[in-house]
Amino acid sequence: MTAKEGTREAGNAFDALLEAAVDGIIIIDEVGTVLRFNQAAERIFGYTETEISGGNIKQLMPEPDRGNHDAYLSRYMRTGKRSIIGGGREVTGLKKNGDTFPMFLSVGETTRQKARRYVGIIRDLSDVQASREKVRELEEQLLHADRLVILGELTAGIAHEINQPLTAIAAYADAGKRMINRNPADATSEIDSICERIAEQSRRAAAVVQRLRKLVRSGTVSKGQHDINQIIKNTLLLFEYEVKKSNIELSFYPLETAGELYVDEIHIQQIIVNLIKNSIDAISEAGSPDGRIEIRVMKRPSDVTISVSDNGPGVREEFRKQLFESFFTTKPKGVGLGLSICKTIAGAHGGSLTFAESTQGGSTFTLSLPLELIG
Amino acid sequence: MQEPLVCIVDDDEAIREALRLLLYSEGLQSVVYESADAYRSAGEKPKCTCMLLDIRMPGTDGPELFRILKKQHLPFPVIFITGHGDIPLAVSAIKQGAFDFLAKPFREGELIKKVKAAIRQFQQDRKKLEELRNLQLRVDSCTPREQDVMKLMADGLPNKSIAESLGISPRTVEIHRAHVMEKMRADSLPALVKMVTSLES
Repeated sequence: MTAKEGTREAGNAFDALLEAAVDGIIIIDEVGTVLRFNQAAERIFGYTETEISGGNIKQLMPEPDRGNHDAYLSRYMRTGKRSIIGGGREVTGLKKNGDTFPMFLSVGETTRQKARRYVGIIRDLSDVQASREKVRELEEQLLHADRLVILGELTAGIAHEINQPLTAIAAYADAGKRMINRNPADATSEIDSICERIAEQSRRAAAVVQRLRKLVRSGTVSKGQHDINQIIKNTLLLFEYEVKKSNIELSFYPLETAGELYVDEIHIQQIIVNLIKNSIDAISEAGSPDGRIEIRVMKRPSDVTISVSDNGPGVREEFRKQLFESFFTTKPKGVGLGLSICKTIAGAHGGSLTFAESTQGGSTFTLSLPLELIG
Repeated sequence: MQEPLVCIVDDDEAIREALRLLLYSEGLQSVVYESADAYRSAGEKPKCTCMLLDIRMPGTDGPELFRILKKQHLPFPVIFITGHGDIPLAVSAIKQGAFDFLAKPFREGELIKKVKAAIRQFQQDRKKLEELRNLQLRVDSCTPREQDVMKLMADGLPNKSIAESLGISPRTVEIHRAHVMEKMRADSLPALVKMVTSLES
């Protein structure tokens, strides 16, 4: 093979590579002019190579990247300071039709015959994003279910919360009537204060109803044979997004063999969801940079325990007594039902839910389910 | 007789206040405690005529305070105030001697009616107790021998049998008998029998 033939052969191989690549490949010069734009890139962005060649790469980016790109390239030329070149990350792309989409972009750099070239390789993440959204949707459904079940579990508590002001109102009204009947002339000032108290108690009842508005009617659930490891795995799926977002390291230590329990799967998930959510919230609120959550399943002679530990700020001494009480919360937007409902669920399974300080300095919540539940 | 005083033990401030006002509208005085523990730890307590006691309270709950009061021979009738799901608790309290219970929210006039019934009960108990105390004083004023004779009289024995069973003469029995009737202020044998029976019960 002659040198010329060799070059041609290499050129053919290069074209074949561009053509066959599943990922988009774009080659630009040092100021961002598009030199090559492969078939996959055409499919991804909707431009043909002819259309885009000679144009600037920044037209494939939405703002603010588009406006910053020239400056970014020239700064890199000047200082060598780079953010994506030599590596890759998730960015947003802009299609010809104006749609934006998530993509993973890696950028490499080469200098041949004194000309600097950048090679961008692009993977469209639209599908990945869709499945992430699906997971998020599932999470929302589960949290929704949480609220639904809460209503069913806490009917008595809720009725009590409304019944108290109603009782006071009824008694005040009764008292007012008697006062008027006895001595209308003397009752005026008393009646005034009674009316004010009745109004105050109506507001109290209304506030309870307001809180309940967040919750909705619940469906039915039932017990069955379930592998505790699998229940937890399914639950953890729902937290992938949240855990990543909060930069938390979540570790799961399952039982070595499948642990079959006769439980209400949704209810157990709900407890775990609540516990993990609490841990995430605690870590995020404290702003701990290296948050850790450990979920550990253990078999003991008489029960199976599932513990959720974190290295968050823990629970303040004065709150520990009320921790499991309804409507007790330390979260600004909390309803204060999560742990109380979890404890109720644990109780309904013949088990328990307890709190202890974790060895990592945060909280450990341990759900214990008696072994008779294991079929 | 002392002025009735209703004792209210409830952890909900609005309910305490509403109950106090409702009783006041009927001319009834009351004293309030915000929990069973507050009641227990209060030193000198005014003498109550009856108690309105909430079932569910933090710390010592209603039924627990009721048991404690019972150990002190239940100085007054107790009316339980019950919430939505607590009726079974209230029923079991009634079985253990509580006077009554009221389900929240109360029907108009219901609370006043029950409190008045409890006050009447208290006053009747008081009166009965007073009578018994008086009777006992009269019994104590009889000599041991007169008390023996009284017991046999109450059993319905004629003088002759009493004389035989105590080994004394019928004439002596007659003298004791007259003293008993006088000291007990009984104007007839049936009246005396009633007195002895009520003391025995």
